[in-house]
Amino acid sequence: MTHTDMAHTAHDTDTHHGHDHAAHPTEKQYWMVFVILVLFTAVEVAWSFMGFEGAVLVVPLLVMMTIKFFLVAGAFMHLYFDLKILNGRLFTWAFFGAILLAGAVYAAVIASFRFNI
Amino acid sequence: MTDIGIPVEESAAFVAHEQELVHETGHASSLGLSNTKLAFWLFLGSECLLFGALISTYLLSVGNFVGQVVAGNPRVLATMPAEIMNEIAEKGSVNSFFDIPFTSASSFILLMSSLTMVLAHKAVSEGNYRGTKIWLSATALLGATFISGQVYEFTVFYREGLHYDGNLFGSAFYTLTGFHGAHVTIGILMLVALLIMAFKGKLQADRAETVEIIGLYWHFVDVVWVLIFTVVYLIP
Repeated sequence: MTHTDMAHTAHDTDTHHGHDHAAHPTEKQYWMVFVILVLFTAVEVAWSFMGFEGAVLVVPLLVMMTIKFFLVAGAFMHLYFDLKILNGRLFTWAFFGAILLAGAVYAAVIASFRFNI
Repeated sequence: MTDIGIPVEESAAFVAHEQELVHETGHASSLGLSNTKLAFWLFLGSECLLFGALISTYLLSVGNFVGQVVAGNPRVLATMPAEIMNEIAEKGSVNSFFDIPFTSASSFILLMSSLTMVLAHKAVSEGNYRGTKIWLSATALLGATFISGQVYEFTVFYREGLHYDGNLFGSAFYTLTGFHGAHVTIGILMLVALLIMAFKGKLQADRAETVEIIGLYWHFVDVVWVLIFTVVYLIP
């Protein structure tokens, strides 16, 4: 293999510059993700009108919200595909670690904060 | 032959290929994505912290507000009409104040705009410039519809007695949803700029990453609304 061939190979295997060539979803897949998002939103709204209280109401809503969050971030923002081509696992772990850390900090603030009035 | 044993002409071809890639897509990144895209992800990370702080503040403020209403604090009760305060005290939540069907329709519109945005990116990547203009226009129009709905919602709430400086609920609600609305408005302006470029013929396939990055911003705004819709509007 010549050096030029190697350059092209590197380019085609997604380790080059801005050319993130990991296969993005097809148009049909984008529409499917949209339909799933709409369905989850409809179920969320219906669930909130069912008259449930406490954890029975809140936990399913939070689960559906999380699924919608990752569907938009993963498919529409191409995060699922971009994380595949970022070299090594360190960046992926750092990325999700930062999200978890930020979530934990906000949860701790919400749990511990008290108004003094 | 070069110092490392590669024929001079192949080495030159490799360098030319590298320069062509940098010219097309921005500077190199050892992570495999363009630096522009990585920098934008960092920016979105800081935006996550901003909205995380705003959502946390809303949750804390509303919890305190409802507690004060239930406890019958006269200073807090005087900030909104008695019938609304009675309903909040009775249900122990502010959710009865919201028009959920209307907000659900707004959510649908914003989700739809995320779909049209990815279709715009796909169209420009494939050199389908007519499709790019159609999908970008659709995204901007859907965003404008969402903002119109928010302005209508704010107007209704204001007339019902929920003022920005009235109580903690009003301050936190308008700050959180207002910041989100401001982000959507900035997104619409960026989409209009892209549309102008497209109509001038300056938005070609080699600028697909520009569309993708503005798309990232737009989807981020959508993701934040996914959180706000559930946490603010649906969960009591």
